[in-house]
Amino acid sequence: MSAKEAAGDGEIPRVDALVVGAGCAGGVATLRLAKAGCSVVCLEQGDWSELAEFPAPRPEYELLIGREWANRPSLRGRAADYPIEESDSDIEALMWCGVGGSLIMYAGDWCRLRPSDFRVRTLDGVADDWPFTYGDLAPHYEKVDIEFGASGLGGDPSLPPGADPPHPPLPIGPAATRVARAHAQLGWHWWPGTNSVLSVPAGGRRVCAQWSTCQHGCPEGAKASTDRTHFPEAVEHGAKLVTGARAHRVVLDGRGRATGVEYLLPDGSEHRQRADVILLAASAIGTPRLLLLSATPGSPDGLANGSGLVGRRLMMHPFANVCGYFDEDLRGWNGHWGAKIVSYEFYETDASRGFVRGAKWSLYPTGGPLSAAVPTNPQVAPVWGSGHHRFVRERLGRGVNWGIFGEDLPDPDNRVTLADGLTDSSGLPAPKLTYRLSEEARRLLEFNVERAEESFLAAGARHVERQSLVRDAGWHPLGTARAGKDPSSSVVDGWGRSHDVPNLFVVDGSVFPTSGAANPASTIAAFASRAVDHLIAERTNQKVPV
Amino acid sequence: MSAWRDRSGLADGAREKLAELAELMIPAASGMPSAGEVGVAGAQLDRVLGVRPDLREPVLRALSNTEPTGQLLANVEATDPEAYVALCLVIAGGYYMHPEVRRRLGYDGQEPDEVRAEIIPGYIEKGLLEPVLAQGPRFRAAPDETDRSRKADG
Repeated sequence: MSAKEAAGDGEIPRVDALVVGAGCAGGVATLRLAKAGCSVVCLEQGDWSELAEFPAPRPEYELLIGREWANRPSLRGRAADYPIEESDSDIEALMWCGVGGSLIMYAGDWCRLRPSDFRVRTLDGVADDWPFTYGDLAPHYEKVDIEFGASGLGGDPSLPPGADPPHPPLPIGPAATRVARAHAQLGWHWWPGTNSVLSVPAGGRRVCAQWSTCQHGCPEGAKASTDRTHFPEAVEHGAKLVTGARAHRVVLDGRGRATGVEYLLPDGSEHRQRADVILLAASAIGTPRLLLLSATPGSPDGLANGSGLVGRRLMMHPFANVCGYFDEDLRGWNGHWGAKIVSYEFYETDASRGFVRGAKWSLYPTGGPLSAAVPTNPQVAPVWGSGHHRFVRERLGRGVNWGIFGEDLPDPDNRVTLADGLTDSSGLPAPKLTYRLSEEARRLLEFNVERAEESFLAAGARHVERQSLVRDAGWHPLGTARAGKDPSSSVVDGWGRSHDVPNLFVVDGSVFPTSGAANPASTIAAFASRAVDHLIAERTNQKVPV
Repeated sequence: MSAWRDRSGLADGAREKLAELAELMIPAASGMPSAGEVGVAGAQLDRVLGVRPDLREPVLRALSNTEPTGQLLANVEATDPEAYVALCLVIAGGYYMHPEVRRRLGYDGQEPDEVRAEIIPGYIEKGLLEPVLAQGPRFRAAPDETDRSRKADG
């Protein structure tokens, strides 16, 4: 089937910039370009979400989040998502296809990488330095803090000095106060979490109502996602957002420059959008998938893949969970999910621990009665019969979790490829993940799990349950089109520009040379902000101007 | 006859078997009703399967187990873990959705709660951040971080 132009017959509807993916990075890029006066189209394979769709208020909430509103696309099975082949992966990917992207289902834990994360080769002799520093990114962290509406407390000594979050911190609640007191006594770092969740009304969005359902859609619209924070304004500035548009090929001309993207609509019709500049923002799974799908006889290993690294160096932030149970009722099902408090006590390298790099801890709620009765931790068996009610009463509302995100260093054998025999609803090959956790990362997780247990015991916990390496917790795929200075060992430069295709950019989490251990959303947004500001500022000097 | 049983393909009695099993799993005790008292195998089952139709097949598979009810759960757990989890979710899911169960637990479901950002947090008043601040900077400085005059690298 020949591709049709997006605007139908007649004049070729070439635009200045085409963005693929309407998630975190795509929202930042589309709005920034539209406000700069560029004509911009964004292609998104999913659709808009309505607040009333989200399951939070329904009595069936805890059942729905196991299927229809699960975080794993393979469980949801929506046509807008694509399945992921994960049989060779230690971790399953969690994501959402739609306007807002995976921000629809993230926790809103809005934290930054630390300065050392950008210099791991220099400091620790492993992996690679980033092609820029924390200081280069700091102004963009502050910009996106405002755009997304971060709520938090300034002055955290685990970060360099800078502007405070624009909104006051959310309440931490009784459980986190207990743990904070314990850390104060232990001399361990803790700080109220910064969340992209509003503590005061702003930008037409409501205040957080503490539903504790952030990861399955915020029914208040208080949690930032670009369907609320960026795309409405981008459309007002003239951007065109095409939903249901599944991009499947970036097209090149004879000179090796990108001319547009071919995409399919749900009715099966094929279209092509032409553009001067193309920005990929489809996630560290979707972006390499698209580049691999764009292979040609001249580039059989995929587009922009002269380094051979497209899809490689997949990092997933291995996640462990430690739950402390207390005698008192702490209303543990209540509160914002992201992070009530955080700890960076074990974030930086201490060689005496037997591994380099570290982990970031976030304290978050437990669930309702169904998760108390049928624990998701496979090491904790439910109790039936005469002991059942006591088992549930000792858990419901009395637990709180330390979520531990560990740094996993890049390994070229951990990768995204195209699956054999598994396709999405358009018939396109699904991505396949190959991911094995290193022994060092396992030691890192185990060390932190033991420390988290100490934290809870110091806080007076009656009982602690541990789960090291949670398989279905791949919230943070990163690194599959890494940024770097050397075209032989990186896919894009520090501004996200492909080394091979001069008018093709990657602006999402694919560019991370290393993962750090902090939730990546604000770094993804800040990278997109920096890359697109540079693109706009330099447009008159580019070979293919915007 | 319920739609669930109609579509089950099993002989009549599957729902009754589930009711017997549920009563053993969640008996009346500690001020809480039994599974049977709140209709776990009746209306609650239809509610559960209405939102989780994926549970139907593994639950029916579990109920086709020929062990006596007293041994069925342990046998299914040992031989068919997927069916065991489905059985647990159907019974506990139906039970804990019931308003009377929630009332007795003091759990009203996920519900909104007012955030008042103007209130000074208790951890500030109690000085819980002072030991953290007293330790000074906790991040590891990167060697070239302070060279802000250099041209940022692309």
